[in-house]
Amino acid sequence: MSDQPQNDPRLDQASVSDEALLDAHERQLGRHPDDKGNYRLLPIGILFVLSGLILFAGTYLNRYTGHYSALVFNETAKPALPGSIKIDPLAQGKAQYKAVCITCHQPSGTGMPGIYPPLAGSEFVNGSAERVIRILVYGLKGEVHVGGKAFNAAAMPVFGQVPNSAYNWSDEKIAAVLSYVRQEWGNKAAAITADQVAAVRKAVGTRKEMTEADLQEVK
Amino acid sequence: MKNNVLFFLGIFAALGLSWAGIVLGSNAQLGGLAPFYDDSQNSAYPEWMPGEAARGQLVYKDLGCAECHTQQVRRPGFGSDQARGWGERQSVARDYIYQPAPQLGLSRVGPDLANIGDRKPTAPDSEDLLKLLYAGAEGMPSYRFLFEKRHIGVGAQPSDLALNLTGSLEPPEGWEVIPSERARALVTYLVNCKTTYDYPEAVPVPPAKEGSEEGAK
Amino acid sequence: MKSEYTPTDRASRWPLLLLLISGTVWLVASGVLAVIASVQLHTPGFLAGCSLTTYGRMTQLAETAFVYGWLANAGLALALFVLGRLSGEALRGQNWAILGTIFWNIGVLAALVGVATGDATGFALLGLPKYVQLILFFSYASIAVPGILAWSGRQREVSYASQWYAAAALFLFPWLLSIVHVFLFAVPVRGVLQAIVAGWYAQAAWTLWIAPLALSVAYYVIPKVTGKVLPSYEFAALGFWALVFVGGLTGGRHLVGGPVPAWIPSLAVVSCALLLFHTFIVVLNLRGALSAGGIAAKFIAFGVAAYALGAAMDALTSFHSMAEHTQFTYFDEAQKQLALYGAASSILFGGIYYAVPRISGKAWLSGNLVLAHIGLTLVGIVMLVASLVAASATQTRGLMDPKLSFEEITLHVRPCLLLVSGAQAILLLGNVALLLNLYTTVCEILNLSKPAVFNTPTAVETHAS
Repeated sequence: MSDQPQNDPRLDQASVSDEALLDAHERQLGRHPDDKGNYRLLPIGILFVLSGLILFAGTYLNRYTGHYSALVFNETAKPALPGSIKIDPLAQGKAQYKAVCITCHQPSGTGMPGIYPPLAGSEFVNGSAERVIRILVYGLKGEVHVGGKAFNAAAMPVFGQVPNSAYNWSDEKIAAVLSYVRQEWGNKAAAITADQVAAVRKAVGTRKEMTEADLQEVK
Repeated sequence: MKNNVLFFLGIFAALGLSWAGIVLGSNAQLGGLAPFYDDSQNSAYPEWMPGEAARGQLVYKDLGCAECHTQQVRRPGFGSDQARGWGERQSVARDYIYQPAPQLGLSRVGPDLANIGDRKPTAPDSEDLLKLLYAGAEGMPSYRFLFEKRHIGVGAQPSDLALNLTGSLEPPEGWEVIPSERARALVTYLVNCKTTYDYPEAVPVPPAKEGSEEGAK
Repeated sequence: MKSEYTPTDRASRWPLLLLLISGTVWLVASGVLAVIASVQLHTPGFLAGCSLTTYGRMTQLAETAFVYGWLANAGLALALFVLGRLSGEALRGQNWAILGTIFWNIGVLAALVGVATGDATGFALLGLPKYVQLILFFSYASIAVPGILAWSGRQREVSYASQWYAAAALFLFPWLLSIVHVFLFAVPVRGVLQAIVAGWYAQAAWTLWIAPLALSVAYYVIPKVTGKVLPSYEFAALGFWALVFVGGLTGGRHLVGGPVPAWIPSLAVVSCALLLFHTFIVVLNLRGALSAGGIAAKFIAFGVAAYALGAAMDALTSFHSMAEHTQFTYFDEAQKQLALYGAASSILFGGIYYAVPRISGKAWLSGNLVLAHIGLTLVGIVMLVASLVAASATQTRGLMDPKLSFEEITLHVRPCLLLVSGAQAILLLGNVALLLNLYTTVCEILNLSKPAVFNTPTAVETHAS
């Protein structure tokens, strides 16, 4: 053994000089693995380990990086295609309702007796899409009867993207609010699409606010 | 290795690789991350914090609150974050773009604070938080140095800011405990810690079906 | 054969001794701060009344003193020692190193005062306020001057593994510090990018700065003590480049499930696994330490074992399904202590015990203090890491159960935290022993009548295989 005995905790003895250390390791590098034609196991073992790790790395990166997208936070997810992320229209409609409509029609769609008509159970809300779209897009003026009772408030504002509108809501917004209202508080009517709203606007063009008489003409 | 120049270039390239990949790469992706504009509400989210709350975040940072509290909610199915009521959705990068010094935190000795201003059923209000800071809790030190215990002057009224303390914490007769400006800023910040909007990227990904190749790990 | 202590060594001694003494003083200081911080975990009222000692600041103080006080000073001392010895001549530019050491320590002191008085940065492993960073950058560059001169001016063309690791550490740290200064302090990036850059720095500081400093010591001392060529030395270069290229990519290691794009933590998972290759090669080469005798070899064997265990644990718990449980618990602290204390510090202790007689020409004055230090340190580290892991197991069970309140979790974890404080106290005692021993040994330099007795080194035994 060329190991020096280490008897004293106060002094670790070196077994070799620095030159010898550098010499021996330099020679180690210059040595060929073998001259007898046998394969040394270790380099193959190391190559195996390295290849295995690289294979694992590649597979893992392929699967669990969400295609390196900036907006994928869940490693098992795929990035969304452009346009595929749509905000839930009912959530949007609900937010819209809470922001604007709630002041008059109240949180549970009950309205105020004599002033603002209720939306819950309203025959206008549950009725034809054409009619209710017109109410929202063009506004409503004058007395209106809902569920047999009369409501005579200030006018329903003009919400659609038409001249004279203070709100200028897009067709998607109109559709979202109407769809929300038509399935809330016991209402059971079909959702409305933005295309339907656009079709109404195109067909009707510009007009002043609807009245109850106008509405009764619409099917 | 013999060639000094090659060695130098090698370690420079190695560092450059990880710097470019992680620092520059993520900066390219997230550096320009804009607020999300919601058409129906005509407003962009997240919103800037009120000034006092932004100062409060700096107080949070310098007191080292992030050593025990995180401010990042993990997605449903990843730990019990949602079940504990810490947030209704996962925190995403957009939540932090308007914070001067985001304190994501690395340790949960105490609860997550990302949505402390919005806890259900009842969120703590400023008074509750000030009392918590003054008294401490199990596992949480008290922060008395953020408060001033002072004498109510003869004939003077107690200050509006005085804490309403009871029991063993109550100051003696004629004394009151006032939170300092730092305490008030910190509490304003905490009360404003809420998730204000559900971004599209925060929508939970439905778990993969059984037997599908893309099983969640 | 050259003797083990030559005029070359005598000529190179002062910067090294200054660095070692400052490092050991910081070690004891950081030990005191760590004991206080660990007590505050289970007894939150301890020193809570003063804003300077509040827990949030105290942990950052302890960490800064430990990393930038102790690890930096000792690591640099031993890097200069190794580079100097392997270059074949005395260190040149020593005044730069001495000047640099003084200003480095002033900078670290200023950082501690800054953090305590309200400039805490909130970033892991980066408790350095903005105004301190430039001081540290230039001081480090100054200390590195003799090392770089010894590396580039070495007498032999072919260099040895220790020299690569030491030279890499000397170059890489200033680059890391300057990058993080720009991206986090001078022109701060926005939002979660701060967390990403800070995470990248914390991981890079370990893999590209602290680990190379420790590995350069290990690669030097083990063959010197055993007298045998490293068995797999042909792969040492591969191991080195694997560490340097992959180390920085582990940046997202602690951001699993966080508000960052998923590719960042996934990249970290993959990189931690790839680093196992580097660890494999290091273990293959340094396994001779286990059978070697002497204090230095024992410390280094423990350190290399801790390094391997740490790398394995790191890779295993980086996976999302594991991280779900271990994240945000004391497990991360256990990993940090295993790496910084168990691996890096143990190897540096071994290096110090080996190097000081060769720097000063004196054997260590007290064998008992040496034995006390090694005993207390090894016991302390095992106790520290084990109790932190036990604490994290309890904490994880609590965190995953939504019905358990934090008060209950705190109560359940408390016994393990008491053990943690105990372990920190034991480590502090051991380090005080080291400081006393080092101080008295160095003071003896002026006493010429008791030089160390070095055995004549023999030839190297090479493997025939």
